Amino acid sequence: METVNQTTGKDVLLPDDTIEAFRAKAADTPHPRELIVDLLRAIQDHHGWVPDAGIELAAQTLGLSPLQLEEIATFYDKIYRQPVGRKVIHLCDSICCWTTGGEQVAELLRDKLGIGFGETTPDGVFTLLPTCCLGACGDAPAMMIGLTTYGRLTAEKIDTILREIRQQID
Amino acid sequence: MVNLTIDGKQVTVSKTATIYEAAKEAGVDIPVLCYAKKLLPFGACRVCLVEVEQMKGRLIPACTTPATEGMVVTTNSDEIAKVRKTVMEFLLVNHVLDCPVCDKGGECDLQDLTYDFEVNSNRFEGVKFDLPTDEVNPLIERNMNRCVLCGRCVRVCDEIVAYGSYSFINRGFETKIATAFDRGLSCEFCGQCLSMCPVGALLPRPFKFKARPWQLKEVDSVCGYCGNGCTVTLGCKDNQVQTIRFNDKIGVNDGNLCVRGRFGYSYVNRDDRLTTPLVRKDGQLVEASWDEALDAVSSALKDGKAGILSGARLTNEELFLLKNVAKTASASLDHSGGECYKGVTEGLQETLGLASSTGTFPQVEDADVILSIRSDFYETHPVFGMVVNQAVKRNGAKFLVLSDKTGKFNKLPDAQTLLTKPGLEVNVLNAICAALLESGQAKTDGVSGVDEFKSALADYAPAKVSAQTGVPVEAITAAAEQLAGAKKGAILLAYGLPYTAQSKELAIAAANLAILSGLAAQDEAGLYICGEKANSQGAIDLGILPGDGLGAQEQLAAAAKGDLDLLYVIGEDPMTSYPDGAKVEAAINGAKMVVVQDLFLTPTAEQADVVLPAASFAEKDGTFTNAERRIQRVRPGITSPGEAKSDFEIFTSLLGRLGAQVSYTGPQAVFAALAAENGEYAGIDFDAIGPQGVVWGGDKLAPKQQVLVSVSGLQPVEARFQLVTGSALYHSGTTSTRAKGPRAVIDEAYVELGREDAAELGVATDDQVTVKANGNTVKLKAKVDNRLPKGVVFVPNHFAGTGLNKIYQGAASVAVEVTKG
Repeated sequence: METVNQTTGKDVLLPDDTIEAFRAKAADTPHPRELIVDLLRAIQDHHGWVPDAGIELAAQTLGLSPLQLEEIATFYDKIYRQPVGRKVIHLCDSICCWTTGGEQVAELLRDKLGIGFGETTPDGVFTLLPTCCLGACGDAPAMMIGLTTYGRLTAEKIDTILREIRQQID
Repeated sequence: MVNLTIDGKQVTVSKTATIYEAAKEAGVDIPVLCYAKKLLPFGACRVCLVEVEQMKGRLIPACTTPATEGMVVTTNSDEIAKVRKTVMEFLLVNHVLDCPVCDKGGECDLQDLTYDFEVNSNRFEGVKFDLPTDEVNPLIERNMNRCVLCGRCVRVCDEIVAYGSYSFINRGFETKIATAFDRGLSCEFCGQCLSMCPVGALLPRPFKFKARPWQLKEVDSVCGYCGNGCTVTLGCKDNQVQTIRFNDKIGVNDGNLCVRGRFGYSYVNRDDRLTTPLVRKDGQLVEASWDEALDAVSSALKDGKAGILSGARLTNEELFLLKNVAKTASASLDHSGGECYKGVTEGLQETLGLASSTGTFPQVEDADVILSIRSDFYETHPVFGMVVNQAVKRNGAKFLVLSDKTGKFNKLPDAQTLLTKPGLEVNVLNAICAALLESGQAKTDGVSGVDEFKSALADYAPAKVSAQTGVPVEAITAAAEQLAGAKKGAILLAYGLPYTAQSKELAIAAANLAILSGLAAQDEAGLYICGEKANSQGAIDLGILPGDGLGAQEQLAAAAKGDLDLLYVIGEDPMTSYPDGAKVEAAINGAKMVVVQDLFLTPTAEQADVVLPAASFAEKDGTFTNAERRIQRVRPGITSPGEAKSDFEIFTSLLGRLGAQVSYTGPQAVFAALAAENGEYAGIDFDAIGPQGVVWGGDKLAPKQQVLVSVSGLQPVEARFQLVTGSALYHSGTTSTRAKGPRAVIDEAYVELGREDAAELGVATDDQVTVKANGNTVKLKAKVDNRLPKGVVFVPNHFAGTGLNKIYQGAASVAVEVTKG
């Protein structure tokens, strides 16, 4: 995957053909705003996070104002407007998880990763964030990494998950 | 209609009404923060919660819930009071309580509601907001620590101004109103947002710490800038206009204003206002008494051949007296610049038999098809532009813009832009007429001149015009189809000093199109002809036109030849604003005597032999007639500085000196006299002109005739660069260049270029650029943006001393050389 343009040396936010595909889709819908989340996620998948230039690119692609993108981008905590590690751990910070040991899980994660909430491990692999209810109350305590939700977390389970992810990345 | 009961009162309201609106009708007050009558329902603040018998179990927001048949509503109970008080407590958790230094103190909705609900303690605790204040721009201060997230600013900027400066960002406790990337406000600075803000989060910076609201004397008057005729409520203290107060109760503008109306008042307070008459002695202008100055003017009027050039910001009453001065002295009289006003008037007379707009502004709000001739219409008449915004954005009007550049209008949703090469608007209008006739969609019942018109259009077949102008054939035929299908259509055309080219032709072409598309004969809306100045329509109504005498351009020519003993210029700065500045200069030099009556020592006044200090709109009593024929009262908020006198007083003194028999007690008496002489104003009583004014001729003025008149367009200018001039959004005429507000945004003239041209010339914004034409040179800073197509440059016409009118001599566009440096 090309992430840096060889001639300009600049970060590539999104490949041209993907931008064109979104542009075509936007022209085809009466409400281009419905594509905002998809496009921001595409930029994020490609670039790791969404910088200001990404908001501008998305706005221009969909024919909207940067602010119309920004209001959505800042609302959803799964759109990253700041650099993050290669994997972001969203630990559920809501009532069902609290009652099933969520706070101990938080403590465990902080210990194992050696970082607090809002921080990234020095090797750049993990960022730890608290998040509003993941809707996995039946499997509390829960966390989400990428698009995968992990429930009924225990110390062992967390060890396995973190190890497997590190292995995948290596 | 639906019937419901509110607090025991029976009320019948339209079925689109909300509970809040129904209660208002019943005389029941429900507290609100986020509701504003001109915005769509939002339901953000939860202060308006009420009980509804049929919806038991929860409280219902009154401002978003439609009233339905048989509803039984209670707006006040112990439970409601408790909930409302809790809402206030929530709001006050984070809100900084800096009321003693907040300019909103005394008229703050949050303060008032806190008081009403006796919120003297708070059960909740939290961190107070501590966000930096946005003071990046000179006019609007944003203090988000005081924000209650009602979203009124977000909505007014989107729904009415159609700019979209603000939105909510972040989430939960961190939610705040921000501009793009939270980088601070940079916008049109119309200030609609601060007029909507219920708290002190948005405040006018020029008014900071000037006065508490209750110290201000409020005077309802009419804005002195453009022909829109917006109500401005002057907030006066210490004999100065300190601010413009929000007022959506009266007038035609619904509380909306533009940057000029809201922030452009300060010129009236300036220290360099003229305060005594000046008379030239030994080559110098020196202070003189009124007697000396007026004697000099009246004897020149009496004894010699005189020409009078008036501006269009005098009141109707003053214009009437001036006409009498001219008549008594047998002087020639014209207003504003020459061919433009005259051309428009004549063009409309020949086609429709009238010389004004056919409808009112509010009628455009629910128009279904709108054609704006020139995108600059938003720049010349921004508040009428906001009506168009609403028609397009809220009510889904089809919107066509025929223009030589893009701009605000072209960005409205689904706006169809007919982008033409400069100066060819008549060609395109002719082509749309041709398309209407060709497709059989033209409405020709009761229309005369059809056959001649048809044959004269041979040169304007859409394909031909398309090749000439660059407007695609399909766009021309589609425009024809949309206009023909309009049930309530509107065609908008502005006129004024920077738009003198082809003014008669444009008026005729627009009228032809209004006739053939059936717009002229509709019951509402139709053709809108909007003058540049506050009383342009009044000047036309009162016939401040040359008649048998010399027109403006003829007066200038006669003066240059030494054939004019007196050139009397009132409320105009022709050296700056008239096309062909060299001609004006020659006239000033050639006239035996030049008299200038103005607020400031303008470049023209500097050359005068006698200068008479006049009064601003804020010091006047009388009437203006706006571009929709609405006669409105102008009222004085302050007195004139020094010995300055209103034009009314000056003309009255002159009439006395000229031996006129009649004298008037005041504007009321003059209005009665002018109404007696002018059929359209007959029967209108000065004292009966109410808060909404009086629209002469009625809301819809039917054309007296429908005559098609063939009219020729121009050939495109073939040059690498061509210059067009016009109005910039932040200014109006030359007066606004003396007002702090507009100046804070744009304080000097500039050359605007498109990106492609700028790249080719290697020019960036603020680089110096030289524009050359017919032996003259203008050097100005560049402004690079996306508005102009390749090969077109724009220079606004407001600023003195640029030399623009040496290059712009009245043509639609001028071939120029543009170089860097």
